[in-house]
Amino acid sequence: MSSLDWVFSSAREALYGRQVPRLKTTRESAIITIPTPRRVRLLSDGLNPVVEVGQAIEGGKLVARSPVNERFQRRIHASLTGTVTAVREDHIIIEGDLPERPPLTHGVPEWIAPEAIRDTSREAGLIGMGGGMFPTYVKLSHPAPIEVVLVNGCESEPYLTCDHRVLVEQRDQANCGAELAMRAVGARQGMIVDREINYPGGYERLLIHDTLGKVVPKRGLPRDVGVLVMNVQSALALHEAVCLGRPLIDRVITVDGDAVGRPGNYRVPIGTELGHLQKVCEIDAAKAAMILTGGPMMGTAADEATPVTGGTGAVIALTAEELGDYRPQPCIRCGQCMEVCPYNLPVAHLVESPHKVVLDCIECGACQFTCPARRPLIEELRRAKAVVTAWD
Amino acid sequence: MTKLIGPIIHSGKTNRMMMVLVLVSLAPSLVAAVMRFGFAAALLVICALAGAWLTELVIDRRQAFDGSAVVTGVIFALLLPVTAPWWLALIGGMLATGLGKHAFGGLGCNLFNPAALSRVILMGLIPGAWFISTAVTIDGITTASPLARESGLLAPTITGLLSGSIPGTIGQVAPLAVLAGGLMLVSLRTIDWRIPLTFLATVAFLALVLPPGIRIEGHAPWLLGNPLLHLVGGGTLLAAFYMLSDPVTAPFTPGGRIIFAVVAALAMMLVRFYTPYPDGAALAVLLANASVPLIDRLTLELGPPPSLEPPDNL
Repeated sequence: MSSLDWVFSSAREALYGRQVPRLKTTRESAIITIPTPRRVRLLSDGLNPVVEVGQAIEGGKLVARSPVNERFQRRIHASLTGTVTAVREDHIIIEGDLPERPPLTHGVPEWIAPEAIRDTSREAGLIGMGGGMFPTYVKLSHPAPIEVVLVNGCESEPYLTCDHRVLVEQRDQANCGAELAMRAVGARQGMIVDREINYPGGYERLLIHDTLGKVVPKRGLPRDVGVLVMNVQSALALHEAVCLGRPLIDRVITVDGDAVGRPGNYRVPIGTELGHLQKVCEIDAAKAAMILTGGPMMGTAADEATPVTGGTGAVIALTAEELGDYRPQPCIRCGQCMEVCPYNLPVAHLVESPHKVVLDCIECGACQFTCPARRPLIEELRRAKAVVTAWD
Repeated sequence: MTKLIGPIIHSGKTNRMMMVLVLVSLAPSLVAAVMRFGFAAALLVICALAGAWLTELVIDRRQAFDGSAVVTGVIFALLLPVTAPWWLALIGGMLATGLGKHAFGGLGCNLFNPAALSRVILMGLIPGAWFISTAVTIDGITTASPLARESGLLAPTITGLLSGSIPGTIGQVAPLAVLAGGLMLVSLRTIDWRIPLTFLATVAFLALVLPPGIRIEGHAPWLLGNPLLHLVGGGTLLAAFYMLSDPVTAPFTPGGRIIFAVVAALAMMLVRFYTPYPDGAALAVLLANASVPLIDRLTLELGPPPSLEPPDNL
């Protein structure tokens, strides 16, 4: 210690009294998650191990617990996914198989009961975030036996990537949501489906057929074949509600289209008005011929005051060149509408002479998109549906 | 906030684009015809095209630029023998669009293939213009008639048919060119492969199994039961790829299209085997066209409803 330092410390002591120095030099340093260690040593002195040497173990799973008659119960969980390589008197060693893997994945806490999941999803206001906006708790409460929970990450609408990004960035959390849903309905199987798929393959019935080979009956629901389908973000919201106590107050949306200056995926509070997004994402009002909430196939025209809802997956601002030219020409019966229809409906024929099969139409718009005569087929199909419905 | 009705984006496909593809696919046949017959063929094509297009322009200006009348005109021209007078081409083109298409209500409404209808009507009304205009000699071969009538004199061979050294209509002289154009349309999925495949397969099958008819004077080649001759000779290829495959006058469902192609093949082969009528392709096309409403009714309304299962190609 130089003499100058000695002068300073003496002056400080004179001013503030004798103290242990604070030394808070890292006060401004952000928390950094360290590269995952290859092995962890979990001290388990006085605990009963519940794992064996050589056993594969997932992060977050119980490895040791107090004997039952102990007064103060302790639990130790695996902080790494890997293999148990040593179980000693006072410690357990786990060696990780994937060094990059985060030390802790989000498993479903074993102590959360199905009723608690259902109650939480009701009180947290959870809904189907793929666009259906059907209350999640109703789906989770139905008595029909559910075998499989499908988490739908196949946003097949053009432009949409928000669910994909959620799965890239928060897959573990979405996984946890799926496991919570499985527990709530007693399903034994769960899967996240995020294949790249052509429109309209992300539609729930098509996805079930495509993934599980099951056909949902005509007027029925997925639960009739023992399947529960939920959107990726609905699963994430279920995780946040149950594990973090966070009700549904925001969601991730895709903002894209040629009139958008800063396209991307944004987490926005529900109720955000499009006017605000216009500023944040630099949507050029002069270039935008049409602003939509939702994708360009099934979306809704919107304006500045339109809010983002729980079911809004995207805000798309299209320029005049991107809009389809729908000046209709005569139908030449080319049959392409039938070729692209997910239900093989003879669309051009049905709009001329309605038949009850038209009620199968899900109005995905694939026929209208492809029609070389640019017929307004969805409008015509709705008219045909009205005619058929009037027969009964 | 209005609910949009249907998608707001579009694939960009148009009717005109499909017509342009058909025209492009016809280019090899036209080039082959002009190379073979020279100016005579070019004149017929131009007259037929002008007749078809000007008629459309007069009747419905809005439809005149979608290319369908041009396609009709060219196909009609390909059905003409090169010895035909220019006015036959002009009248035929006019009749094809005027009666064949617009009398039924315009594009998409016609029951019959316009070119085939025009050809069959004109062959009935003024057969002389088709058959008897003799003695035009090109490359030392008398091309006085459509393939069948007189070619009993020189029995057609496969190499002759393929190389175009056989008399016939201007669209028949280069079967390989027609085939190339047709395969282009099939591979671009502009036309449904089921129709030409079923049609050609049925023609070949019938050529093998049908018993030869009573010999009719001047009706030699089709009594030969050689399937290859039936496939490349006469209007078979044009009918398969251009007339039957016109979606407007074909059934709507894949199954219906197969039935339709079988009906057409049956009609054509019956005409070729058992009537004095030489070719029968155009007539068969009309007969098959006439059965389309019934086929559609059987396959769409009385048949089982379309499967609820989505197709595998999603």
